[in-house]
Amino acid sequence: MERKSSFDFGFFITIMILLSFGLIMVFSASSASAFYNFNDSYHFVKRQLMWSVLGLFAMFFMASFDYKYLKKLSIPILIVTIGLLVLVLIVGEEINGAKRWLGVGGLTIQPSEVAKLAIIIYFASSLAKKKEKVRQFFTGLLPYLLVLGIILFLVILEPHLSGTVVIFAVGMIVLFAAGAKISHFFILALPTIPAFIYVIVKEPYRMQRVTAFLDPWQDKMGSGWQIIQSLYAIGSGGLFGLGLGRSRQKFLYIPEPQNDFIFSIICEELGFIGATTVLFLFLVLIWRGIKIALNAPDAFGSLLVAGITSLIAVQVLINVAVVTSSMPVTGMPLPFFSAGGSSLLFVMIGMGIVLNVSRYGKSR
Amino acid sequence: MAFTLICMALIARTGWLQIHDGERLQKEAIEQQTRDKMIYSKRGTIYDRNGKPLAVSASVETVTATPNEIKQAKNAGEIAATLSKILDMEYEKVFEKITRDSSYELVKRRIENEQAQQVRQYIIDEKIKGINLVEDSKRYYPYGNFASHVIGFIGDDNQGLNGIEIMFDKYLKGLPGRIVSAKNAVGTEMPYRHEKYVNPEDGANVILTIDEVIQHIVEKHLETAVIENKINNGGAAIVMDVNTGDILAMAVKPDFDLNNPFKIENEAVRSELERLSGDELKKRYTEELNKMWRNKAVVDTYEPGSTFKIITSAIGLEENVVEPEDPFTCTGYVMVSGKKIKCHRHDNPHGAQTFVQGVQNSCNPVFINVGLKIGSDMFYRYINAFGLREKTGLALPGEAVGLFHSANKFPELELATASFGQGFTVTPLQMLCAVSAVANGGKLVKPRLVQQLTDQEDNVIQTFEPEMVRQVISQETSDTLRGILESVVSEGTGRNANVKGYRIAGKTGTSEKVPREDKKYIASFIGFAPADDPQIAVLVMLDEPTRGYPYYYGGVIAAPVVGKIFEETLRYVGVEQRFTEEDDVLIDVPVPEARNMEIPDAEKALKQVNLKYKVKGSGNTIIDQLPKPGAKLPEKSMVILYTENTKLITKVVVPDVTNKSPLDANKILTDADLNIKITGFGAAMNQHPAAGSEVSPGTVVNVEFRLMEGD
Repeated sequence: MERKSSFDFGFFITIMILLSFGLIMVFSASSASAFYNFNDSYHFVKRQLMWSVLGLFAMFFMASFDYKYLKKLSIPILIVTIGLLVLVLIVGEEINGAKRWLGVGGLTIQPSEVAKLAIIIYFASSLAKKKEKVRQFFTGLLPYLLVLGIILFLVILEPHLSGTVVIFAVGMIVLFAAGAKISHFFILALPTIPAFIYVIVKEPYRMQRVTAFLDPWQDKMGSGWQIIQSLYAIGSGGLFGLGLGRSRQKFLYIPEPQNDFIFSIICEELGFIGATTVLFLFLVLIWRGIKIALNAPDAFGSLLVAGITSLIAVQVLINVAVVTSSMPVTGMPLPFFSAGGSSLLFVMIGMGIVLNVSRYGKSR
Repeated sequence: MAFTLICMALIARTGWLQIHDGERLQKEAIEQQTRDKMIYSKRGTIYDRNGKPLAVSASVETVTATPNEIKQAKNAGEIAATLSKILDMEYEKVFEKITRDSSYELVKRRIENEQAQQVRQYIIDEKIKGINLVEDSKRYYPYGNFASHVIGFIGDDNQGLNGIEIMFDKYLKGLPGRIVSAKNAVGTEMPYRHEKYVNPEDGANVILTIDEVIQHIVEKHLETAVIENKINNGGAAIVMDVNTGDILAMAVKPDFDLNNPFKIENEAVRSELERLSGDELKKRYTEELNKMWRNKAVVDTYEPGSTFKIITSAIGLEENVVEPEDPFTCTGYVMVSGKKIKCHRHDNPHGAQTFVQGVQNSCNPVFINVGLKIGSDMFYRYINAFGLREKTGLALPGEAVGLFHSANKFPELELATASFGQGFTVTPLQMLCAVSAVANGGKLVKPRLVQQLTDQEDNVIQTFEPEMVRQVISQETSDTLRGILESVVSEGTGRNANVKGYRIAGKTGTSEKVPREDKKYIASFIGFAPADDPQIAVLVMLDEPTRGYPYYYGGVIAAPVVGKIFEETLRYVGVEQRFTEEDDVLIDVPVPEARNMEIPDAEKALKQVNLKYKVKGSGNTIIDQLPKPGAKLPEKSMVILYTENTKLITKVVVPDVTNKSPLDANKILTDADLNIKITGFGAAMNQHPAAGSEVSPGTVVNVEFRLMEGD
């Protein structure tokens, strides 16, 4: 048995800073719309606080839960996940025309969030066993692509494009980390790209988002509204920002400012300095994550951490890219910051797993 | 690694947006985030020279709506029903306004205080959200159709649109205050954060040189003249203090109601407009409005005609090219540069006359000769000196300058016609200023319409002092010319402007409009008084009289208006009337009691107060009399005494005396047992009561006589 030691402290501290920072920003960003919609400025931050506490418990639990047991649980988790993804299509709560949420008691969770972790755990454990065989296309790579395909298919049926993109990206990164051939990815790209374009063109609202991205001012009051409001917020921030709590764009200009567009509120209130700080914190987190992955005692641990780290990385990049109008709008939460309970819970679970792996690291 | 690179790219992107584009984005953001509410500043009052308010602002309220708030409360129907009732508007109109997809709508502007009170009560009682009362102001013009063209009016946004209101807009309006408040995307106001309050600064009051009493006098007489003589193109009158340049009155008729300036006053035009629609209507309506708002006295130019002979005389006397007693001969025309220029009385030439008589007769050949002796250069220099080629600088919008020949194209023929006021144009105001200079001893003064600006506590902010522009002619020339011009009114073509007891000087003018063959005229008269110590100058011009001959001559239709204006104005400003023997002034005396008297006693009683009598019946004792004791009659009138108890004749029919001489009219009326009160000279033009009406014997019939001579 490897020597059990304390977890990576740098990683832990970064998590705690991000979590607290996130909580403050959720409060600041949500107070106005919370007051307007619920007559209670604390409506969202109360929930976020609850989820944070829950997330902390989950993280500490996972941090002390030996990750090697996950290997045995990987297939059951995958099956349960597929079950949930099917279930959500049948009994899921429909919000804005999408069935993404499952009500459990008073809480709602997104099965796609579960799927993100499930696919990482399954890929990591299975690929760790497969080792070099992954270089073979049919016997090595194809089975994973099939499993991934099933999951992606179910998620896109919800529909949940951003979730699909994240799961696909993370799956690819884990496969790549496990040693799959780059050439295979190119072959894979051939059918994927037209499929992706088809998925976008098929839905008018997705096309609208693309045109809105290309010229948001064309339909200022309609499809361009969200992104213009986000740009106004970012621009208003300048170098030092308007000051914490002093966002003006959160007054119902940016729809649900505590969610996907919380980064623009950060930019407005804390300026370029604050925005850079947030991204820097994520960089630190990713950097520690990569270190933990490299130092992991086994391939499973290494792939697991790589997957979870990349999960955070992909989400951060897409979120910031959307908010700064660097890509078309898609609903992507910013980990630790965006309000929305289950997303945070699963991020914290992932963080717990990484911390647990770090305890078995080869070097201190 | 890839992550780091993308991350850097995103940081760069954020930085670009925040620092490079920041200013622009922030500006746009603030535009949408704030609501700028104006707080009206109180508009200053416009006063006449004695402090009578001519334009005042009162605070009223405007009803506005925030449809988004109403949408949330879902009670638009109910609100619309109540508001439509209080505000006297259609339900559908109110409903449509308060349910628009917007965050701000005007429901009704400037409502009555009582309505505002009801709306306020409704908002409080029913806790209505989304309906607001905003302070606004309303301009009132206490005298309505009064000095319309001078005072001007304001538009919907309280901005001056005409007259003093536009010229002094920046002083009158003050600085509006602002409430800058944050608003959210729904348009409702946020109860807290970045609110800024800027206090409004009230506007200044403007004190005019206009005297409300004189203005009323002028308007009354000008309006009568415009109606009586069927003036097609309006009339203008100006009263000016010759020494200070103060405009005491300036009237243009027809006028319009300052409280409703967008209503076309002319009924014929209005019904014509009703038949139009679309662009055509818009165009005509705008044209008609501009015509109605046009201040003829300042904006229109006209050929001064014979009134300009005052200026030619002044130049001639000043340059010593003519003396008052110099002899002239009018043969009915003069040849200049091979062209025949006729006198207005070419069919009956004036013959031999002195210069003074030439002025009295308004004889063109006399002035042509004087003009030619003055010469083009000299004449031109005086045209400039009298300010006829520059704006007077009066504080009213759109002041025009007449057109005069250019200096290098002013040969003898043009000089000859210019000498009697033809071939060039001036504004009435320019002309009056030039004549004032002649009257006041030779000083051209700048006309002044605004004396002072004061603040709300009546502290003086600014005073506009009278300004002398230049000395144009000598005191001596001025003195000589005053005498000559007085004789024009006492003996010449200007006799219709004469007022017993006042020494009035002046000159008539009748100009044919171009093209001359249209036979359209402008009749005018310029005078000043008292002739020995001029204080006031008056100009009246009537554009296109259509009553027919001789009612287009300045002496016939404009001179009497000036006379009446002088009579009342001089009395108002306290110039004493000084009667001479010739004036034969008849004052009103009370009729004494003659009843129950014997005829000789009655005669004595009547004679004492200079009344005559006529006996009806053959008795000796007077049973009754008409008019009754105590009634007032002008001296030399007749009291009818009844000595027989025959059925008394209680009514007589007033005979028509039109065109009769005073002597004949007197006889006709006396024969009809009526009395006469004579005003003016010449032929009877108006009588009151009118011919044909039934009145008591002894009633005084006012008969206005007028000289019907040309020019």
